[in-house]
Amino acid sequence: MKKTILTTILAGSALVFAGCNSEESTNGDTGEGGAFEPTQNIEMVAPAGAGGGWDTTAREVARVFGETGIIEENMTVVNKEGGGGAIAWSYIHGQDDSPYNLFVASPPLMFVPLNGQSEVGHEDFTPLANMIADYGAFAVSADSEWDDLNAMFDQMKEDPESVTVVGTSAPGSMDHMQFVRIAKAAGVDPTQIKYVSDQDGGALTSVLNGSVDVFSTGVGEVVEQVRAGNIKILGITAEERLEGEILSDFPTAIEQGIDESFINWRGFFGPPNMDPAAVEFYEAKFQELSESEEFAEVREKYGWNEMYLNSEEYEEFLNTEYQEIETLLEEIGLGN
Amino acid sequence: MNAFDGMITGFQVALSWEGILFVLIGVIVGTLIGMMPGLGPISAIAIMIPITYGMDPAPALVMMAGVYYGAVFGGSTSSILLNAPGISGTVATAFDGYPMAQQGKAGKALAIAAIASFFGGTVSVIMLMLLAPALSSVAISFGPPAYFALMLMGLTAISSLSEGSTIKAMISAVAGVMVVTIGIDPQTGTQRFTFGNVNLFDGFDFLIIALGLFAIAEVCMLVLNRKNRSLSDDQKLGSLKVSRADLKEMSGPMTRQSFVGFILGVLPGAGATIASFISYIFEKRISKNPEEFGKGSIKGLAAPESSNNAATSGAFVPLLSLGIPGSGTTAVMLGAFLVLGVQPGPLLMTDRPEIFWGIIASMYLGNIFLLVLNLPLIPYLAKILSIPRPLLISLVIMFSLIGVYSISFNVFDLYMLLVFGALGFAMRVFSFPAPPFILAFILGGMMEQAFRQSMTISNGSLAIFVNSPLPLSLILVAFLSLVIPGLLKWRSRRKLAKM
Repeated sequence: MKKTILTTILAGSALVFAGCNSEESTNGDTGEGGAFEPTQNIEMVAPAGAGGGWDTTAREVARVFGETGIIEENMTVVNKEGGGGAIAWSYIHGQDDSPYNLFVASPPLMFVPLNGQSEVGHEDFTPLANMIADYGAFAVSADSEWDDLNAMFDQMKEDPESVTVVGTSAPGSMDHMQFVRIAKAAGVDPTQIKYVSDQDGGALTSVLNGSVDVFSTGVGEVVEQVRAGNIKILGITAEERLEGEILSDFPTAIEQGIDESFINWRGFFGPPNMDPAAVEFYEAKFQELSESEEFAEVREKYGWNEMYLNSEEYEEFLNTEYQEIETLLEEIGLGN
Repeated sequence: MNAFDGMITGFQVALSWEGILFVLIGVIVGTLIGMMPGLGPISAIAIMIPITYGMDPAPALVMMAGVYYGAVFGGSTSSILLNAPGISGTVATAFDGYPMAQQGKAGKALAIAAIASFFGGTVSVIMLMLLAPALSSVAISFGPPAYFALMLMGLTAISSLSEGSTIKAMISAVAGVMVVTIGIDPQTGTQRFTFGNVNLFDGFDFLIIALGLFAIAEVCMLVLNRKNRSLSDDQKLGSLKVSRADLKEMSGPMTRQSFVGFILGVLPGAGATIASFISYIFEKRISKNPEEFGKGSIKGLAAPESSNNAATSGAFVPLLSLGIPGSGTTAVMLGAFLVLGVQPGPLLMTDRPEIFWGIIASMYLGNIFLLVLNLPLIPYLAKILSIPRPLLISLVIMFSLIGVYSISFNVFDLYMLLVFGALGFAMRVFSFPAPPFILAFILGGMMEQAFRQSMTISNGSLAIFVNSPLPLSLILVAFLSLVIPGLLKWRSRRKLAKM
């Protein structure tokens, strides 16, 4: 397997793209404004410390790129922690038009600037490709009186003070807003939602001991607790049921009559004004990676879902998302 | 499977040649990383994740656990010798360890730290083995109100961390609380005192404060006291021997604080740093000679050292038995588990007993290795102090800078280290104690968050702190610990007056 990929790469290295069905890949022209081929080390920034979601994605992608030889040039992962990503973003923003500085991103790239905590946001960067989708889950203690989202939302409509939501991110960021988004679609007054943020690892504990009522988090964080019978999932933010043992038991909000979803997307960006040839190069390489068996294994290991978008599709998707989130933040009085 | 069968399974893993080899690698790497100010177990474990990729999970996890407790073990060295804490869990170690080293008892201090660490580590592994399943319910019983009460209890200790002026200690503590509010407020997402500077959004890393107030301030003092050359000239390693009397003196604190440390380690969010402070204060409170603390007391050194190591094993309780990471380091450990295809949680003990018990069994072995490795190294380590002073001072500055830079590779942090160094120096000159500052910095942030979480949950009613038994009893203990010493003093004074 590895050998065949390598051969394809070698054969295709003179071409613009290797093993890719993009239109341009058929013409082997390397002339004016044509092909881009990296000739030096590629820096991949994870805008957070070691061990988190961004870091894991960056490291796994760099590893599989290297091991499969999809990109032959060396790729180094650099952690730039701080400001919820803002420090790394301002760093990349300064690398104008460099084709050798990529970074991994997810919805905080919108939430953080929208909350006024970063000068630069997704529109300042060059989207290359989205790779993964993850979804939110709303979990309650196993002995909770609620069995589905509507039971909870009904109580929130009647007595909003009696329900507390906990999440690990700040108000106005992902855990909070995914809940607000679904709750609003169910008819709950979004300005009345009580949200507490627990960034020291106590969120799940607080749900288990009954201090708070519902935990808004990622699907991957709850599987084991469900398996052990400690918590139950009232609903997830995916459009359709997920695949896999336990995962397929989680009902979506949509099937409970709440017509809303939320995707925790994760993909890669480059600095502003990246050369279109380099963008084409990367989006094709990311597509090849996304379709590779090796990366499928990675997805399976972490429970990530495949969601490849090329640069153009990605930009469109991001702009739609951005507007929705902006409106919602303004509505609850958090936008800037 | 009961604990006994489990441990047999565990030792089969730990005592296999692979088990022994990887425990050894883990604890050696951990000790070295702990000794370097600024390099912590988090980055070490994160770096190891890709290396262990494809390895058998049991030895890989045994190795990472070794790095974790090895780092806490090794972190005491630079605290004692240089007043430059290697990791946040060993700040309290410097309170009495560094004075001992200055008195020419560096070797003894290192030996006491090693013995106390070994003791705390071993006692807590035994508790981990016997109580892990039962204790998982303790770990989840703490909600925001109980955390607030726990932090409050810790803060009442400020008065006991002060030498001399209580007012100055209070001012120092208030300054610590003020500094911790800098950054984005987690409960509202509002920026507080950041002046729009992105480098301040996350607030200050603990290490910047600790190295600034302790290491850099100390360096300034060393430069100033040029005439007193004791540190480089007659500074001797001193006898390594820990006498029987010493052992007797440290046995009480070691035993008590191993339990305290373990329990605090079990609570998500508390961890080795808070455990070491609370243990230090605990021992000072109950000591008959509290005035010895801070001047090279054996008890004051043994207490935080046994406690921080015990807390490290304690942190494995929620991780292994609940799948809840209680700290940054255990969160990265959780990531490592997942990459290796092991899901820690309530089912780990039955699904993968060889991993659950293997890790626990390997900790016995790891603690023995740590003791055996560290004791013979002490004479060589303590020689650091005989390095000529100008060189030593430059080394401390260099290591502090490297340590701070490696937090997030941000030059801004280096300037902040100097700012806190200057602050620490000024505090020394005007005799404001630094420990209350650092304690308030650690506890204050968590206390504020817990308080405001509680207020949101209760819709603003303070009754939430007295309505359930756990927070209520913790608040009572905090209150009593403030009042009782005063009452005792008053009574003894009255007795004296009567006589």
